[in-house]
Amino acid sequence: MGDEKKSKQRDGSMVFESMYPLLALMLILVACVDLCDAATVVDVYRLVQYDISGVPFGSRFSSLNHHAASLSFQRGADLSRSVLILPLRELDLGFLQDYISQKQSLGGLLILLPQTLRPGNNIVLSETQGFRKLLAQLENLLVHANIPFPVYFAFENEETDAMLVDVKKNDALGQQATATTGGYKLVISVSEPRKIASPTITNIQGWLPGSRAEGDSNQLPTIAIVASYDTFGAAPALSVGSDSNGSGVVALLEVARLFSTLYSNPKTRGRYNLLFALTSGGPYNYEGTQKWLKSLDQRMRESIDYAICLNSVGSWDNELLVHVSKPPDNAYIKQIFEGFSNVAEDLGFQVALKHKKINISNSRVAWEHEQFSRLRVTAATLSELSTPPELLESAGSLSDTRQLVHEDAIIKGVKLVAESLARHIYGHQKKDIKIFADDSSLAVNPFNVRSWLDLLSQTPRVAPFLSKSEPLITALKKELEDYTAEVSVQHESLDGIFTFYDSTKASLNIYQVASVTFDLLLLLVLGSYLIVLFSFLVITTRGVDDLISLFRRPPSRKVKMV
Amino acid sequence: MTLFHFFNCAILTFGPHAVYYSATPLSEYDTLGTSVKAAVVYLATALVKLVCLATFLQVSETEVFDPYQEALKAMIGFIDVAGLYFALAQLTHRNISQNHKFQAVGLGWAFADSVLHRLAPLWVGARGLEFTWDYVLQGLEANANLVFTISLAALGSLMWLRKNKPKTLIPIIYTCAVIIATMPSITSYLRRVMGWHFPKVVGFELMTSLVMAFISCQLFILCQRPSL
Repeated sequence: MGDEKKSKQRDGSMVFESMYPLLALMLILVACVDLCDAATVVDVYRLVQYDISGVPFGSRFSSLNHHAASLSFQRGADLSRSVLILPLRELDLGFLQDYISQKQSLGGLLILLPQTLRPGNNIVLSETQGFRKLLAQLENLLVHANIPFPVYFAFENEETDAMLVDVKKNDALGQQATATTGGYKLVISVSEPRKIASPTITNIQGWLPGSRAEGDSNQLPTIAIVASYDTFGAAPALSVGSDSNGSGVVALLEVARLFSTLYSNPKTRGRYNLLFALTSGGPYNYEGTQKWLKSLDQRMRESIDYAICLNSVGSWDNELLVHVSKPPDNAYIKQIFEGFSNVAEDLGFQVALKHKKINISNSRVAWEHEQFSRLRVTAATLSELSTPPELLESAGSLSDTRQLVHEDAIIKGVKLVAESLARHIYGHQKKDIKIFADDSSLAVNPFNVRSWLDLLSQTPRVAPFLSKSEPLITALKKELEDYTAEVSVQHESLDGIFTFYDSTKASLNIYQVASVTFDLLLLLVLGSYLIVLFSFLVITTRGVDDLISLFRRPPSRKVKMV
Repeated sequence: MTLFHFFNCAILTFGPHAVYYSATPLSEYDTLGTSVKAAVVYLATALVKLVCLATFLQVSETEVFDPYQEALKAMIGFIDVAGLYFALAQLTHRNISQNHKFQAVGLGWAFADSVLHRLAPLWVGARGLEFTWDYVLQGLEANANLVFTISLAALGSLMWLRKNKPKTLIPIIYTCAVIIATMPSITSYLRRVMGWHFPKVVGFELMTSLVMAFISCQLFILCQRPSL
């Protein structure tokens, strides 16, 4: 008997042991609770994260897994495990400022922007004007603060609206969304942001040589036209910078096209070389321009008569400003400005001269022409902005979308630059000639302007996130190759005081979750249902006595044993 | 927490089968073998149905209710009935009374149907974070299906296994059997043409299943009287 028992036990244990791998597999399968497709998936764009000389700015985290809360939460509620959803319309800047400055903990912040601000959406609505100012203030606040929670921007759609209404209703009732009360859960699963190791800035230059006179062996003078094409904004994935500086790039390309047509015929080729440069690193004290200038051959740099930098020429009406760093009574500056104002008069608007001295001890470079001036090259910046922008300001913010730019403004700017250049090159300064007249073969092409502007308004161009072989850079290079004789691309690394972190775009999953109490309730209901079903079946098929006997069996056994 | 929901829906979908087996005298007479055989027959039937559907049916992109396609689907649905006939009449079972035979066959059939159609969606869907009522409704549908299958098995056993039936009852038996056999077509018609949502369809199924069960129960009792 004992042997039998032992063998039985051994058999039993062997069976159990052979089940181990099966059990392990079952446990693994059970453990992988894969987050299946959520009902709602929304594209979200993260706030920029960067360091200046090691001092952190922007949002320092990227992944998110919390319940949703709205502004209607009860005062004093703990939001450290909630994501606050703020539509732009209801933004309370003071509240947000307090929250950030007092370093209160928040699970995350999701800012909902109206659909009209989406790149590619060209509907012009008057209500967006009020938003732009609010948006500018919000960006200013967020970009210059050190925020210890993830901040994301998203565009409103029906699903987010519905969710927000629900969340507000729940919050108003005082039901904080936690694990036990259900609600909405927002999940963004991305890895933690990493430093971008050595971000590259790419300068593209195009060289259009002039024609030398017979027997003249001297180097021809050069005129440079420069515009920086990269942007910086609160959300790098949305930073399209239509006006700053998409308008400048478009103007430069159009001027290049006009002069390439002129210079293609040897009879009309001028005695000046033309150098077109699309520089990067604009928002970071024009580092790209400085590196490009330093990489130029010394003789080439000395042959530059003057340089015109284009910065934000897309949304002005009557007056364009010429910013210089050399004093206005300098002969060269006078010449340049007179050229501009003569043409402007003919075209029906005004130009004004603004002088800002360079402060050598201050490392801040507010205008692109200052980089030229520091290397003793005469330069001026043509811009609609009257005051020099602060660091990282006016470089392509969220509100700088396609609707802000008028093609006419760019076309007027192109005419101004092209005519004044042509009059200088061909020596017709005082004459009343229109070289690029509207109905001629040298007219400014509005379709070209519009198509490039539309393209740039849909391409975010923050330099650290642009790779060396970025399609935009290839496109700009190809465009310059069509217009100029020699194009060269220069890759530099953005060293200096700025450090950037990746992870600019993500997908937000919105789950509608049920609370644990609901599950327990459901379990209770189901348990009672099964018990009722069991009793019903026992009664109908075996009789009531059997049901009662089920409960009476243990005592009856004891009775039998005795 | 989401595994909790999966567990809830699983016991709703598969619990009643286990309860039915243990509550009725089926467990006393150890009719598990019969149920297993019925489940195997169901698998074979499902395979044959799939092949027929793939061969004869055109897949339409839109959810348009095409009467010809639906009629074809209903005809293929009768393969189900043929399978049930095979399980009831042709397979040799141990010496079990007719009463218990149809119950065991129906139970095995319904269990196989639930596992095949509902286990995979449940495993994949109910474990996610997102909460929907779909899986609870699916469980209720499984319950209705169980009742339907047992009623159909009862009527089937009446039709094929009982030799002497009262003449008046025969047409009623056949109509009820036809109604139950075409339930899938009826529900798809409701869903597509009438535009009923899932909860409404499930409610309709539950009600009909109870009515059908009652009718078939009555028919069974009526047919039992002459043999007494």
